Amino acid sequence: MPVHDVGYRGWDGKKTSPLTRWKIITYTGIRLALRSRWVARLLFLAWLPVMYWGVGFFFIENSINQDSGISVAETVVAAASEATMGADISADLGLGGSRKKIASIIRRQYKMVPNVDVIASALESGNEVATRSVVWGWLLMTFFRYPQGTLILFLVGSIAPALVSQDIRTRAFLLYFSRPIGRLEYVLGKLLVPVAFILMVSLVPAIALYFFAIMMSPDISVIWSTWDIPLRIVAASVVLVVPVASIAVMLSSLTQESRFANFAWFAVWAMGHGAWIAILFSVAVGKGMNPFDPIVTNDPVSQRWSWLSLYNNLGDVQSWVFGFEDFSQIYVSAIVLAGITIFSLVVLYYRVSAPMRV
Amino acid sequence: MDAIPIDDFLPAAADRMKPLISLQNIVKNYRDKQALAGVSLDIQPGITGLLGPNGAGKSTLIKMLLGLVRYSNGTGTILGHPLGRAGRRIRSMVGYMPEDDCYMAGMAGVEVVQFSACLSGLPDVEGLRRSHEILDFCGMRQERYRAIETYSTGMRQKIKFAAAIVHDPDLLILDEPTSGLDPEERESLLNRIALLHREAGKSVLISTHILPDVQAICTDVVILSKGQVVLQDTLANLNRTSSPSISFQVLGDSTPIVNHLAEHQFDVRLRPDQSILVESEEPNLADVIWSAAKKTSTVIRSLTAAKNSLEDVFLQTVKESQHASS
Repeated sequence: MPVHDVGYRGWDGKKTSPLTRWKIITYTGIRLALRSRWVARLLFLAWLPVMYWGVGFFFIENSINQDSGISVAETVVAAASEATMGADISADLGLGGSRKKIASIIRRQYKMVPNVDVIASALESGNEVATRSVVWGWLLMTFFRYPQGTLILFLVGSIAPALVSQDIRTRAFLLYFSRPIGRLEYVLGKLLVPVAFILMVSLVPAIALYFFAIMMSPDISVIWSTWDIPLRIVAASVVLVVPVASIAVMLSSLTQESRFANFAWFAVWAMGHGAWIAILFSVAVGKGMNPFDPIVTNDPVSQRWSWLSLYNNLGDVQSWVFGFEDFSQIYVSAIVLAGITIFSLVVLYYRVSAPMRV
Repeated sequence: MDAIPIDDFLPAAADRMKPLISLQNIVKNYRDKQALAGVSLDIQPGITGLLGPNGAGKSTLIKMLLGLVRYSNGTGTILGHPLGRAGRRIRSMVGYMPEDDCYMAGMAGVEVVQFSACLSGLPDVEGLRRSHEILDFCGMRQERYRAIETYSTGMRQKIKFAAAIVHDPDLLILDEPTSGLDPEERESLLNRIALLHREAGKSVLISTHILPDVQAICTDVVILSKGQVVLQDTLANLNRTSSPSISFQVLGDSTPIVNHLAEHQFDVRLRPDQSILVESEEPNLADVIWSAAKKTSTVIRSLTAAKNSLEDVFLQTVKESQHASS
């Protein structure tokens, strides 16, 4: 017997609020996930793009601060394009070139970049404040859509499949539900695990980038002209986390084997996006063009089937959040995401309740 | 200064007699099966054994008490709270040890207990401190830091028991607590349960198939069969034989003494455990047996007032209930 064994003693301390018990489930889930080296590596990897985008913001604001003799808008576009596309745009632009000429060059040479027309139009407008807001928003939108959108797929794929499937396999439900918590709290606690990881690599770095850009800007008044950007970042994060976490945890609840849930997770993304790519190819073959040419991607047939891809749906709605699309252009994607989320949550709740129905 | 009456420190008599669990005509129907067919019972503070053959409705009854399944009809209270409407309140006052081999993967033993404590409302650090205290009480040593997947069945039983008591519940519901334990561990666990009742005032409801466990620590017994309570009584009453009788064991051959007693018109029976049961209204039955041993040169190893075998009571009760329902 240990020397410190005091036998059984009662406990009459102050209990925590019953409304916050889901936090225990989330906190424990995060702690367990962080024990995986792969998750730690993916988290590190997911923060690397922040440096790249940070350089983009640095160039933009650094150019603004320099008295180079060219307009702010021109330097903004030049620096943003260089940072995000890796191309040296300065030769095409030419110092002191007219805004219309520069916009024309951008439209022609960077036509593959989404929403480049919006940036070119902002440049033509000559409005420094509006241009900064547009370019910042565009940088953040591309940050959400390209590096983070892909890395989150792998990050969630390494965390979520085990969340509920493991509890089903080890019959841990009885240990949870014999405590003063309900099924909704269990579901919420589990959902917030992937949500937390997604936010760690989307919301947090995006907000950090925004503040970095503020620090690089000429004066603090920039906050007033870009006040909407943090709200757009939060909204884009919500658009990302809600359907992604719902699908991932729902798939986890369908099986006792986390590897099956893992396979299903990647299959859902790959099959949908693969089907859309196949349609792009068929359209491209018909037109004799590159399948990723905007003429092909904007073709009515390609657009009609774009909702097949979860990735496209998320990207489309985030484009709307950042102000690059009208709702009329993305409402199908929004409906698809809302439908998938509701369906996933209903299935998840049903599956979590199943062991108690025996 | 006026003396404070000692009664002020004691619970009111009415409270002492208040049942912990009171059920009236509880019915639980599944789609094509009636799991509980009008269960009515009052469970008093103490250690109560819940017995019944497989499919009798024990697990359903326990899940219903915890508010995990809804009942179709009836009313009841647990620890003074209405059944079905105060599930969370009840679960915060009850410690449940499930029968299933369930665990939370990826955690060490102490983390599982801490997690259970926190889910029951203990703050994080206090939950950890309390977990260590309870694991000490349960006899878990350094293995508490190992991943629970590496545990033997017996170790997992200990962890489940620790998780059930870590939040200091008023009522413990233990489903097959000793299954998978070696004899020494089984005895230790039964001692812990008895100690929790004796020294900490906990009430315990034990669902088990192991009748010697019930015999060892229970004060009351409830037998369920086909979704109904077919017997509820104190163990002392159940142990009492219908007529005065004595049970004894001998060293060597028992035939001479058995024959001798039978010749003198005593009702003598040989039990499965090799003890000999003698039933008689004879007031000095023990003297008669000692005398018979002397005459037949038999060495008596033990001699006790006979008790009813719980196994006999259980089998007889279940058999009667099944016969009645058929």
